[in-house]
Amino acid sequence: MTNNHHQPSDNPASKNSRADKNSCAGISLAAVSLRYEGKYLFKELQLDLPQGQCSALLGPSGVGKSSLLRLIAGLQPFEPSGRVIIGKNQAQLPGHLSAEIAYMAQQDLLLPWLNALDNVTLGARLRRQRPDHARARDLLRQVGLADYERALPATLSGGMRQRVALARTLMEDRPIILMDEPFSALDAITRLRLQELAAKLLRGRTILLVTHDPLEALRISQRIFIMSGRPARLSEATLPEGETPRDPADTALLAHHAELLRHLRAADDDSAFGAQQ
Amino acid sequence: MMSILRSLIIIACLVLVWQIIIWLSNVPHFILPAPARVAEAWWVHHATILGHAGVTLLEIALGLLFGALLGALSALALAYFRPARRWLLPVLVASQAIPVFALAPILVLWLGYGIASKVAMATLIIYFPVATSFYDGLRRTEPGWTDLARTMGASRWTLLTRIRVPAALPALASGLRVATAVAPIGAVVGEWVGASAGLGYLMLHANGRVQIDLMFAALLTLAFFAVIIYFIVDTGLRRALPWQPDKLPTEQEE
Amino acid sequence: MLFTHIRRVLFPALLIFLLGGQAAQANDKLTLLLDWFINPDHAPLFVAQEQGYFAAHGLEVEMIAPADPNDPPKLVAAGKADIALSYQPQLHVQVAAGLPLTRFGTLIATPLNTLLVLEDGPVKSIADLKGRKVGYSIGGFEDALLRAMLARHGLTLDDITLVNVNFSLSPALLAGQVDAVIGAYRNFELNQLAIEGYKGRAFYVEEEGVPSYDELILVANPDHMDRAVLRRFLDALEDGVRYLVNHPDESWELFIRGRAELDDELNRLAWRDTLARFALRPAALDRARYARFAQFMQDQGLIEKALAVEDYATVLE
Repeated sequence: MTNNHHQPSDNPASKNSRADKNSCAGISLAAVSLRYEGKYLFKELQLDLPQGQCSALLGPSGVGKSSLLRLIAGLQPFEPSGRVIIGKNQAQLPGHLSAEIAYMAQQDLLLPWLNALDNVTLGARLRRQRPDHARARDLLRQVGLADYERALPATLSGGMRQRVALARTLMEDRPIILMDEPFSALDAITRLRLQELAAKLLRGRTILLVTHDPLEALRISQRIFIMSGRPARLSEATLPEGETPRDPADTALLAHHAELLRHLRAADDDSAFGAQQ
Repeated sequence: MMSILRSLIIIACLVLVWQIIIWLSNVPHFILPAPARVAEAWWVHHATILGHAGVTLLEIALGLLFGALLGALSALALAYFRPARRWLLPVLVASQAIPVFALAPILVLWLGYGIASKVAMATLIIYFPVATSFYDGLRRTEPGWTDLARTMGASRWTLLTRIRVPAALPALASGLRVATAVAPIGAVVGEWVGASAGLGYLMLHANGRVQIDLMFAALLTLAFFAVIIYFIVDTGLRRALPWQPDKLPTEQEE
Repeated sequence: MLFTHIRRVLFPALLIFLLGGQAAQANDKLTLLLDWFINPDHAPLFVAQEQGYFAAHGLEVEMIAPADPNDPPKLVAAGKADIALSYQPQLHVQVAAGLPLTRFGTLIATPLNTLLVLEDGPVKSIADLKGRKVGYSIGGFEDALLRAMLARHGLTLDDITLVNVNFSLSPALLAGQVDAVIGAYRNFELNQLAIEGYKGRAFYVEEEGVPSYDELILVANPDHMDRAVLRRFLDALEDGVRYLVNHPDESWELFIRGRAELDDELNRLAWRDTLARFALRPAALDRARYARFAQFMQDQGLIEKALAVEDYATVLE
């Protein structure tokens, strides 16, 4: 999918990245259905995620946020009537892995027998390509782990490991990033720092962030979707103004936070007593 | 140094318990001889005992080598080829249920009374724990890693060699530890079926001649070498897998 | 008055007499450990059992088959059983090693051991063993027997290769893995070969330089043995031998009664060949014969010193 057009981007951080080359890298879901144990998780779900923006997906546990993410990533097959479209020209078939996507999970998924540098360059090694060590080192520096390239994951703290995972995700240099609660296992302060780091480094790419933390959604996303019910439906929430990462102490943001919590409570009740199909 | 001192103390305690059992239970010397008699027998016959020990050690070493290799290869085949799983796995399990004294004469018939049949016997006994442990490890790869690898575009082969195999190495190590512990049994059983050398043979021979002191001396020599071998293998495995945390977690640091 | 007194004394006395009499008539229990799994070598024991001779002598004999022939004498020496079936050569070594054992009876009065070769094989005489492989079971004495047999033909143990084949004597011989086997029983392995369609040739050890000995003897612990009870045992055993000699076919039926797994061709052939070898007088002891064999064992270096026969054999009166 190499495209030699060098599209201008409004973000200097993403210069020379593939996000520019394929600026039509949004995600669209059309009539996507998925069943789990006979019941529909989603039925003919429709979703359009704009390219270059970070969209957050909130909702109660068990509603299917992770399944949706995995479905888009190509790890979860869905019913053939649906379509997942990544970029303008590529229609994704159920279970087909796209080369446009990078995946970051809740666990850091670092391989314990490789040091930080080798973990960052994992993708190249798995594809039997030559790893770009210089770029990997630069990315480790950008996430603040310049001195740790030889460290084994067991010697790093949780926050540091997730930063290595972030560097690995960046190393893949894909226009679309799928993140499944990547910071939920970290303590509050580390989480705040990593949100800022991710927002800065991933700017300009199309991101779908699954999170259970409404504050996180408010801080770093440009759109918030709330998933509820079974089969799940999506509703949008309003967002405060401002560039991400937004200040958590901002009163407008806190007001939105309260509103969002109310919305989520309602969604949770909805799921609990919602119509069964 | 502390660990050597500790080992010596443990040995001394065991010998003391042994002697106490003899004092208390009045067991006759031709069934359980006293430590002193066994020590004397060892001293008198140590050249013979060590000569036979060499043979048995060779059988154990070769059995470990072949058993581990075959076991690892079988596990890989089972993990990579789906039809292999359906056909090979039941055979693998059944092979362990067959009592050794039924198989041993067949091996002896094919491989003769030399060292080959003993090595084959040991290999058979070592093969199973290695194969099942490694296969288990390969099966239980962290699903997150396989997901990640797939999104990164890894082929089935790369997934196996770069992720599943390294991830399964701790399981293989466990299997190897068990195998090392049972390897002496394999070698000795092989010798019982028909051998002219080795500690198992020596024990049988001494038993037949009512030289019970010598039999126990050979037995203890076997036990001693079994412990040494286990220690060597264990240390080697720990060095080979430095990234595997060996200690129980006391506190997680964040 | 007198009548009441008599009643008070006489009745209890009568009761005690009757009960005591009953106790005297209750059978004495004996545990007998066979040397191996049940086979025709044990014929007189089972005949005595099935014909009720043990019961007739006030005995209840429990016969147990071990898996390891080395165990029974040790258990008797340790006081865990009353009688063990063992081998005379073993006895000499066991007593020398300090086991409290004594032979009080004989079951099989001739050696059964042979050096066995294939009739069509390369070994026509013992001298032909030079440079060849001889298979053996671990029992402890095979090399001594061989040494004596070879010496007669000017050979030593260095002229042959000994291969331990454990209990697979016939298979090893048939498979050609060895040229001869020692430790083969003339009533068993010879017939085993015949059943497989091969003719075997036996060199009888007692004809080749080894003094004659009893293959199967009965041993007990001299410190624990009840001589009167064991005498009765031998009487019952002699009844068994007598019946066996006089009625061999009926005896076979008794042997396999309730033990159908013993009814096979090998056992039938072995039965026929063992009949002539049972000790007709189990209690009898030939001192000189035992002393001569003890001397042989000393000469072969199997025991340090040939002990006095009294130290390991006894005659029950």
